[in-house]
Amino acid sequence: MSARLRVDWPSCDAHGLCAELLPEVIHLDEWGYPVVAQEVPPALLPLARQVVRSCPALAIRLVGG
Amino acid sequence: MTTSSIGTGWPAAGQVTSVGGVDVLRGGVLLADAGADASWVAHRRRLGPLHQPDLTTLADWCRAVDLRGRGGAAFPFATKLTAAARRRALVVVNASEGEPASHKDAALVTVAPHLVLDGAAVAARVLGTTEVHVVVPSERPGVGSAVRTAIAERQRAGERLRWRVHQAQAAFVAGQARAVIELIGGRENLPVTAWAPEAVAGHRGRPTLLSNAETFAQVAALARLGPAAYGRVGQGAERGTTLVTLDGDGAHPTVLEVAFGTALVDVLPDRALGRPVLVGGYHGAWVGPQDVAGLTIDRAAMTEVGARLGAGVVLPLASDGCPLTRTAEIAGYLAGQSAGRCGPCRNGLPALATEVAALATGTGDVARVGELVGLVAGRGACAHPDGTAQLVRTLLLRFPAELDAHRRGWCSLGRVATRVRP
Repeated sequence: MSARLRVDWPSCDAHGLCAELLPEVIHLDEWGYPVVAQEVPPALLPLARQVVRSCPALAIRLVGG
Repeated sequence: MTTSSIGTGWPAAGQVTSVGGVDVLRGGVLLADAGADASWVAHRRRLGPLHQPDLTTLADWCRAVDLRGRGGAAFPFATKLTAAARRRALVVVNASEGEPASHKDAALVTVAPHLVLDGAAVAARVLGTTEVHVVVPSERPGVGSAVRTAIAERQRAGERLRWRVHQAQAAFVAGQARAVIELIGGRENLPVTAWAPEAVAGHRGRPTLLSNAETFAQVAALARLGPAAYGRVGQGAERGTTLVTLDGDGAHPTVLEVAFGTALVDVLPDRALGRPVLVGGYHGAWVGPQDVAGLTIDRAAMTEVGARLGAGVVLPLASDGCPLTRTAEIAGYLAGQSAGRCGPCRNGLPALATEVAALATGTGDVARVGELVGLVAGRGACAHPDGTAQLVRTLLLRFPAELDAHRRGWCSLGRVATRVRP
């Protein structure tokens, strides 16, 4: 099973750090909230874990994989 | 009691009971005793003692008739039941019915409270628990009083279950599964992110069998009748009956029980024939008149026309109604019902509602509406943004000619063509 970043929407405050760290997977919508465009390619898994750790709202998790 | 001319497909019933301004037609199984004495003694006299299959049997029977949740998500009940069958399980009956256009759970709980509670009791016993929570709506007080009266009767009769009644907030999203778990846990009655299904980790992380009120009544009926008699009616793999709310936000809402496979036109009032129908309620899908003509009430047929029965709300477009204006009104309502916790929903739904309203007045931008639909779908703790997106998506899909007419300044789907802008 492949890994995917999943947003905890009620917790997300649109800090936007995730999109800065992992633009290959995440971009921001017009209100600044993350759009998870695709699954995390295996090569980017370490970076995805960093995204999870560095989210100021602790609002993103890595599921599956 | 009066006689109704609305056919129910099966069985030909006709007697009507009024429940809080809603006409409830007597039906084949769940609503067979609508209008009769709903007390414990009368209920038991009619149906006999509670039938109690074991876990394996009940799960097999649920699979045999393809029993699915009737709260909207249509999740297979056997899967939920077997997933919850672990230590420290509990049962939650969700009768909160947050959608104002749906009345079937309120009607069912009011006319047959013990049937719903029977289903919960059967489920509790197969799960080896005595803990059952019932969530009732605050804006329909008759439901809570019917439940409390019924529980008191059961306790007097010596039933050894620990019932707890909770009152959901009067909000569209308050009845969502996770919002209900929050309520039971003493927190704010709003949706939160579900990292696991409720049956795996629900209330306090415990296996929680949370289902809609009608689903539990279906379980009771199945436990009593067995799969053969229960499945005597139905369509394909989907056996039995289902509850439908017709015209739920209109002047005369009607709740009726139909066999799966019943033709939709058989339950629609004459004035609705040849008109588009919003199937599945405010989170539902528009179905055009051509598709309505051949549509039957079952999952396979609904899927073919891009719709889902959801919680069974069927809203025919009024004879002078315009689907764009109607959708704009509903989208506006749904935007106001966002709990405001999830950014895409809080920002996206009002923006979407504004754009849909602009479509109705002929000034909107279809591409922008499509973009907003894509931005809200799947991006929230609950299905509120998804449902709203589906409503609007099907508007764009089903009414291209009408969208075009509005763009040119005319509304043609109302009986009389009217100018929508100068």
